[in-house]
Amino acid sequence: MKEFFRNTWKHRAHVVMALPAFLVLLFFAYIPMSGLVMAFKSFDYSKGIWGSPWNGIQNFKFLLASKDIFVNMTLNTLMYYVIFTAVGTFLNVVLAIAIDQFVFKRCAKVMQTIMIIPIFISYAAVQFIVYAFISTDTGILNNTFGMNTKFYITASLWPIILTIVKMWNSVGYGSVLYMSVLAGVDTELYEAAEIDGANKWKQIWHITLPALIPMITVMLLLSVGNIMRSDTGLFYQVTRDSGTLYDTTQVIDSYVLHAIFKNSNYGFVSATTLFQSVVGLLMMLFANGLVRKISPENSLF
Amino acid sequence: MSGKKKMKNADLAPSRRQRKGVGQYILGFFLLLYTLFCALPILLVFIAAFTDEKAITQNGFSYFPEKWSLDGINSVLRYGKQLIVSYGVTIFITVVGTLVGLLIMSMFAYAISRPDFRLSKFFSIYLLIPMLFSGGQLSCYIIFTTYYNLKDSLLLLILPLCVTTMNVIILRTYIANSIPAELMEAAKIDGAGEYRTFFQITLPLLKPSMAAVGFMMATTYWNDWQNALLYIKSDSKKPLQLLLVNIQKSIEFLLNNANVPASARAAMGGTIPQYSATMATVIVVIGPIMVVYPFFQKYFIKGLTVGSVKG
Repeated sequence: MKEFFRNTWKHRAHVVMALPAFLVLLFFAYIPMSGLVMAFKSFDYSKGIWGSPWNGIQNFKFLLASKDIFVNMTLNTLMYYVIFTAVGTFLNVVLAIAIDQFVFKRCAKVMQTIMIIPIFISYAAVQFIVYAFISTDTGILNNTFGMNTKFYITASLWPIILTIVKMWNSVGYGSVLYMSVLAGVDTELYEAAEIDGANKWKQIWHITLPALIPMITVMLLLSVGNIMRSDTGLFYQVTRDSGTLYDTTQVIDSYVLHAIFKNSNYGFVSATTLFQSVVGLLMMLFANGLVRKISPENSLF
Repeated sequence: MSGKKKMKNADLAPSRRQRKGVGQYILGFFLLLYTLFCALPILLVFIAAFTDEKAITQNGFSYFPEKWSLDGINSVLRYGKQLIVSYGVTIFITVVGTLVGLLIMSMFAYAISRPDFRLSKFFSIYLLIPMLFSGGQLSCYIIFTTYYNLKDSLLLLILPLCVTTMNVIILRTYIANSIPAELMEAAKIDGAGEYRTFFQITLPLLKPSMAAVGFMMATTYWNDWQNALLYIKSDSKKPLQLLLVNIQKSIEFLLNNANVPASARAAMGGTIPQYSATMATVIVVIGPIMVVYPFFQKYFIKGLTVGSVKG
């Protein structure tokens, strides 16, 4: 113990250096965690989080009882996670391989620059672009194809729309990681394969893809930790928080944001948040454990 | 795996596969298609901003508008006093947030990467937990506004985003892998104190990694609309993204404000060029990032790559 204090005193300068970030995390990450006790209280604004009376698991009972809202948004969250992860990973890998195979490198670089740009456009701006394409009267889609689809009130179309928007936004960016793996593949492997008479497809199948598998596995597993979180902007901004679309567009994060503005039942909302945080934590621990088994150098902790 | 070597390979375009067969052109065609898919929506913003308002309301948005017009841009630029204020706010939070964040995260990363510093284990775990578990939006909202009394404060736009676990890990990995510990030892032997060693030896060497992290942070700050929507009420503190979120209101606010002369309003035919003005505002908001990004692309890609490998 004495040894420990002596060591800390010796490193007091380092303690001081770590302090600012320590405090920021304390006030903006740790203390808000305590707010989750609201899930077990019936929240009253005037009494604050601590003063509000306890009500046991009342909120959770309510959560389970209101199936349509809670189950619906949880299922939506999971559904979009699966769609985005499956389609996203596939496109990331295809794009990375395509750019890697392309011999006109300068041209590829310019294209890649353009492909990455959408990730830098906030959803607050993206929603206007989407609107320009799919608004009923002025939208390009309706005008070009002579349709009269009312996109903003047709819930069934939104899984497709949101997937396209999300892919537009993130595939160029997501493929960068895979490309850096491909750049590290030993070129002699390809040369040897060519001498052995393997064509391009065979080379991709037997050399390129296997090289990517570890990274794909790791990225997939690590994304599992965020299974309950969504790109709030995508679901809140791009859909214009339109109530008629909630069936297919409401996810937990957008629901919570919406609820904060509506000042609705905070007990219910905080029970949802607690559920979200706990499931996220469990998934993260599970995923990290798996990654540590498969490739220890990529595990987070 | 050393990141440096990989980047070199990527730059030098390995000599393999030099044959430019038909396949290459087909591949190029598909890549071009995807590039267009990414670029065309952005192009539409620029075209719509310069399209005559009537052309949009009558014929809809189009890549080949019947009539061009500067009304949208003009109305935003000329009467957009709020726009200038919001630009100021966004630039302020981006610059201050990025610089403060970089400094305190580098210090933290440096501290926890010191060998034989007993507390560094505790700090590392302390850093990791927020990535695993969070209080969620609602508790943040209530605690920030009622307990910290920070409603309508720019601090809430800056501080919650300024330390992120992933960024500290990237910086720490760089310190561990790319800055030789002997340098720090040598400085100490020469009599430099801890602070001096950090600010004069480590910090300058940390620049490439800081450029990558800094660019990502700046983008986050620039694009953050959620915190602004939750916490900011007064017009003088509205960042650009919030202006976009409230655009319907904003355009009216921009144009029906006292400082729009009646003659000007009459000249616009009494109507607000809503669609084109909206798109013009979008350009103003997304423009700077698109201009700056190509210069940072190199660091940015490097940062992404480094971040994927734990130290």
